[in-house]
Amino acid sequence: MGKTYTYFIAAVGVVCAYFLVRLVFFTDLSTRTVQSDVVQGILIGAGLALVTAQVYGRLRGTRTNGWLTMRGCGLPGNGMFLRAAQAWVFTGPIASPQEAMYWWANSDGDARRLSGEHRYVMHFPPGGLPPNDGFWSLTMGDARNRYVPNVLQRYHVGDRSGLVPNDDGSVDVYLQTTAPDGGEANWLPAPEGGFILWFRVYVPGPAVLDGTFAVPPVVRTGERTGER
Amino acid sequence: MRLSEPYLHVVVFAVFCVAAFLVTTYLSPRLMLLPYKRGILSKGVDSGPIPVNTLYVQPERLFADPFAELPPGSTKLLSYGTNRDTLYAIGWLDLSHGPLVLHVPEMSGRYYSVQLTDASRNTNFAYVGSRTTGTEAGDYLLTGPRWTGEAPSGVATIVAPTNAVLVAARIFVADDQDLPAAHALAEQIRLTPLTS
Repeated sequence: MGKTYTYFIAAVGVVCAYFLVRLVFFTDLSTRTVQSDVVQGILIGAGLALVTAQVYGRLRGTRTNGWLTMRGCGLPGNGMFLRAAQAWVFTGPIASPQEAMYWWANSDGDARRLSGEHRYVMHFPPGGLPPNDGFWSLTMGDARNRYVPNVLQRYHVGDRSGLVPNDDGSVDVYLQTTAPDGGEANWLPAPEGGFILWFRVYVPGPAVLDGTFAVPPVVRTGERTGER
Repeated sequence: MRLSEPYLHVVVFAVFCVAAFLVTTYLSPRLMLLPYKRGILSKGVDSGPIPVNTLYVQPERLFADPFAELPPGSTKLLSYGTNRDTLYAIGWLDLSHGPLVLHVPEMSGRYYSVQLTDASRNTNFAYVGSRTTGTEAGDYLLTGPRWTGEAPSGVATIVAPTNAVLVAARIFVADDQDLPAAHALAEQIRLTPLTS
């Protein structure tokens, strides 16, 4: 979500609030015309709808471990306000949760912006990969959601990418610009600058749907090493 | 125009304000999907506009090369950002001229979903796919809400809540080697008018 857009919506909210307060408390109503009632009513009503959708979207969106998602998208009967919030916050025709769930992150578990200047690890505890009847994946994009070339030509990892578990059954995924010491199998190459991540689970299991499963945080473990 | 009682101005204002608030909220999903409608029917991706009531499958080369440039004039709305998991097929349907038959091929256990989205509310009223209907070949009759004809025997019927429907199909691609097979299957997901 762009800052400019946020400021724009905030400005719409402020302007609407200003006109509302002025009309109710500071206007000499005996000199008003019906035309201005109608025009201002429509403009302010529409403006407040946009602001409400934004605020509601942010309230209904859940951020866990730095991962943002919104539950209930796409489901018939999910309510006019959720649909409006989805329209303005998470645009596009989104899959119903039973079909696929998506999480998005541009910051680590400590709310610091993700960047190739640092090294990160995502640790899935033993048995902690997302339960599903489809598949899951973790996909890398740059700050503008585009692929970034890398030596492995690897742009995502997941259940079919040959991730090697640790001795205790846990799985570590390394997000960094250079290959990790442990080998390349669990490396998802990061770009030099800022990046974003998509976590997708198709046909998620009950634990994913009810929120028992939480996507593990992306943890910053150090700074970029090696030649650039 | 003036009103007899000054406070009535506040009432008129409030009525229009609340109405505009509700109408804008209600129409938001539809407004958001308008660029998609335009993207499909007027712009298209690779080979020009995608005709109404047809499905367009993401070209193999655009999936194979993550850095492939879209031809000028293509809509960018239809690529789901960074996604290496599923090929997509999309289409905009107008069911007011009669039902369509959705044909899906034998998918042999492959994950896929054909998502049918109410274009007024941006909610998914039905899925055909591995989760909901399995991976065997099949035909599904897709009708608008007011169609009164008779479905051919042996064909499951899906009644859409609106005549405007957005179709987004996702077909699993295991890896680069699997892409040709996945693409060939995606091409076999077809929409045809019901001929009576």
